[in-house]
Amino acid sequence: MLKLVFSVFGVALAVTPVTAAPQETNAVLLNQGEQIYQDNCALCHQVSGTGSPPTFPALNGNALLGNAARIVRSIQQGTDQMPPFPYLTIEEISAVTSYIRKAWQNTWDDVDIEEVASTLEGSTASDQMTSVWDTVFTEEQANRGQAVYQGACGLCHGRRLNGAPDDPDMSSTPPLARARFLRIWGGRSLATLFSYIRATMPESNPNSLTEQEYTDVIAYMLSVGGMPTGNEELPTDLQQLAHMFIQPRP
Amino acid sequence: MAKKDNKTSVDPKGLSRRDFVRTGAAAGLGAGALLESEQLQAQESATSATDTAWDYEVDVVIAGGGCAGLTAAIRAKDLGASVLVVDQNFDLGGRMLHSGAFVSLGGGDPVQRRDMKGESDKEGLITVDPVEDPEELDDSVDLLFTDMTDWSVVDPKGQNPYRYNERELARSWAENCPATRQFLIDNYVRFTRVSGTHGGGGLSRARGARCFLMLGDKTDIKAGTITAEDAGVADPERTSAFAPVQMNNATRTVAPNAVSNGVALSRSLEFSAREKGVEFMFHRHFDELVREEPFTGRVVGIKAHYAPRLHPETGERLESFWDNGNVDERRDTINIRARQAVILASGGHAGNPQVRSMFYPAMREPAFPTSGNALQGAHGQDASALIAGLRVGANLAGMQQNISYPTTFHISTRLGTRDAYTTMMPGHPTFGFRKSAGVNVGNAGFEEFIAVNQVGKRFFSEVRLPTRPGGSRYPGDRGAPGQGLSHKPLDWRNCRKEWVREMYNYDHGLDAALALNEGSKAPDYYSGPLWAIFDQEAVERTGWELRHPYVSDNGYFFQADTIEELAEKMAKGHEFQRVPLSHLAETLTKWNGYVDAGADPEFEREADAPMYRIATPPFYALSIMVIWHDSYGGLRVNGQQQVVDMQGQVIPGLYAGGEAVGGLNKHGLGKGHVHGYVAGTHAAGEPTS
Repeated sequence: MLKLVFSVFGVALAVTPVTAAPQETNAVLLNQGEQIYQDNCALCHQVSGTGSPPTFPALNGNALLGNAARIVRSIQQGTDQMPPFPYLTIEEISAVTSYIRKAWQNTWDDVDIEEVASTLEGSTASDQMTSVWDTVFTEEQANRGQAVYQGACGLCHGRRLNGAPDDPDMSSTPPLARARFLRIWGGRSLATLFSYIRATMPESNPNSLTEQEYTDVIAYMLSVGGMPTGNEELPTDLQQLAHMFIQPRP
Repeated sequence: MAKKDNKTSVDPKGLSRRDFVRTGAAAGLGAGALLESEQLQAQESATSATDTAWDYEVDVVIAGGGCAGLTAAIRAKDLGASVLVVDQNFDLGGRMLHSGAFVSLGGGDPVQRRDMKGESDKEGLITVDPVEDPEELDDSVDLLFTDMTDWSVVDPKGQNPYRYNERELARSWAENCPATRQFLIDNYVRFTRVSGTHGGGGLSRARGARCFLMLGDKTDIKAGTITAEDAGVADPERTSAFAPVQMNNATRTVAPNAVSNGVALSRSLEFSAREKGVEFMFHRHFDELVREEPFTGRVVGIKAHYAPRLHPETGERLESFWDNGNVDERRDTINIRARQAVILASGGHAGNPQVRSMFYPAMREPAFPTSGNALQGAHGQDASALIAGLRVGANLAGMQQNISYPTTFHISTRLGTRDAYTTMMPGHPTFGFRKSAGVNVGNAGFEEFIAVNQVGKRFFSEVRLPTRPGGSRYPGDRGAPGQGLSHKPLDWRNCRKEWVREMYNYDHGLDAALALNEGSKAPDYYSGPLWAIFDQEAVERTGWELRHPYVSDNGYFFQADTIEELAEKMAKGHEFQRVPLSHLAETLTKWNGYVDAGADPEFEREADAPMYRIATPPFYALSIMVIWHDSYGGLRVNGQQQVVDMQGQVIPGLYAGGEAVGGLNKHGLGKGHVHGYVAGTHAAGEPTS
């Protein structure tokens, strides 16, 4: 199986420490952190840092951000609710951690690369990423997912997964396949998609399907989007899903 | 025909005495001719009982066999009345039949209580746990009444619809919700778990449940089963004569193999009504009320004319799915005497452009229909109750409330069909009236094309066109139970300007679509049809299937190798395209320039979504429809559903319900069923004359 390989940690650890004036360092770091935040975190925690409690906690004014090591580990390894982001480099984790501790009304100190590196020392997280186009699910799994989809999702997201409910009294919803879906979700991992769906869907009763059912629905979404089937099922394990990128058709 | 006490059910009488031929209303005339004949007739004086010879006589006559009429019919029959339902269509159910069957009742109704206790239904068909928390289901009549009369609830247009509600109607509705739910259950209607609330009310409690049947070897309403073929789920591109709209999967709210939509509701009620001996006269349009004197005395009957619905291909008369209880009467205009009462349940005015102009003159444009125009035909929602009521002196109510709910009139995301509110697949006999199911692109699909008016000019940001305002909301509430119990009814803060401004977030693209343009001609200055224009690359991006049964050569879909040829085909091939699309080519050139420059100076499309060049043939056009679905505003009634005149006096013997009446801003079936239940109750209690 052909895999996209991103050599992440090797590059990150080789980065030469920045030697510019502290003020300037801070601005560069925070700008980089803001971009990473918008690309990876704002989907749930919002650009404004207000989150969407109780589903997605606010970061603005959240006392837990005082514990830098906890934040760093949560980003790289995930939590019960939050997906891991193993593809972020040490430098990127430093930037985004520093950003959320400084943004909005927050006033905590920056977290530098050394601190992140020492917190993550001994981490066995793999940095090998695959793409959803690399046969990551089976046809049988997609079929199972279709059955779950029709019961739990189809009424709102439509028979064609294009966000057009059949019941005309119902409002349109986000498409779950094809170009529009890829535009919103491209560059994110399947762990992020899984966590987001589990936390928010079905809207009337989030987190009411099993992990297997959520994963099967994702397999079905990918199959409708034209991604090829393979011999191995999409796993339910968040760590494994975190290593699979959603990408436009190569 | 069944006989009961001294009452005779549907007596044909005086057949030899009557030879009434109604001018212009002969079978087979087109919709325009029929409407015209009605206008002529409206100029005559109202009919009185003294110059009327009766053809039929029955205790209760009901105009319309939809959700209000069918409910009223069963209720009146249960209470001992003989009942005849007159319907202009060939089958029962009205728009209840094509609905999603989301019946929002409440007030502590039996389904709320069942789910609150975590119980299954009596037959044990429901195997899933309740969807809503018990707290969300803890409802009462007083809470529901407060919801429906809360002056402080605003909607995203910054309006406050409930302040206009007739309080007596809101009280009656709230008080009768629990009994109506039980009544429906007693007549074979099976309800799913409550999930959310559908339209209207302050939304403080979950009260919406859908109706279901279980897939099985045969269609048997008593057993609660339906075949996959009848349910329209055996083949993704085929439905049945039983189900105009394919049924939905109801696994999540019932059990595996459960299916739901209006078919489960309407056919169950119909089965019960026929079993109980209600009688039906189809293909017959309700025209006039007969009062003792034109403006005084009791309403004693109706006039109705024969208007058969013929199969669009074979020309044969369409026939109802079941026929027990049908009265086959084909004479032209007949008079039907009601010994006790007439109930008007013949729907609203959404399908009558002339009457619509009372509310929004730009919607006099006949290019835009109401929902279900294939299923119901030209007379669906044609304001017959409102017109007949006015002729005997009835008052109207709630005339501004059409503006206050998102499904009143809106741009549909189902393109390429005139009947754009619902999807209908081949297999139902009325499919031939629309000829295409349409392509439902959802709101997201509007990013993929440019939308142009009748002269081929863009008029609004496409992305913002299909957005409908949400329902009425309290501050901080997303508008559904489970998403905010913290709201406070009747709190002035709900109406303070800061919140109203926050709520006022609605794009008025619909009004741009209806605006005057270069093709608008005196005296009506119609805005004309709307079109989605795109190319082959859009088809490849989206996977839209531009083939039978989704599109056809019915004048609502065109394809050509050049834009000029496309414009020519559209101008020739669409029934409401009155002028050439003379700007289309130039619009496309301009658009492609905007795409190349990355900016759309006219409508700032780049801010909302990516812009795509439209340059790869073949080029396509799909119709975009404005659909006027709900009717708010109609006959004024009191809490017993008795029609009230301009002096505030009840018109004796006349009841109305559902979309024929105004004064209660409440979307959906929940209103109609309660109206029918209340009207049926009181109509059957009227003295016999």
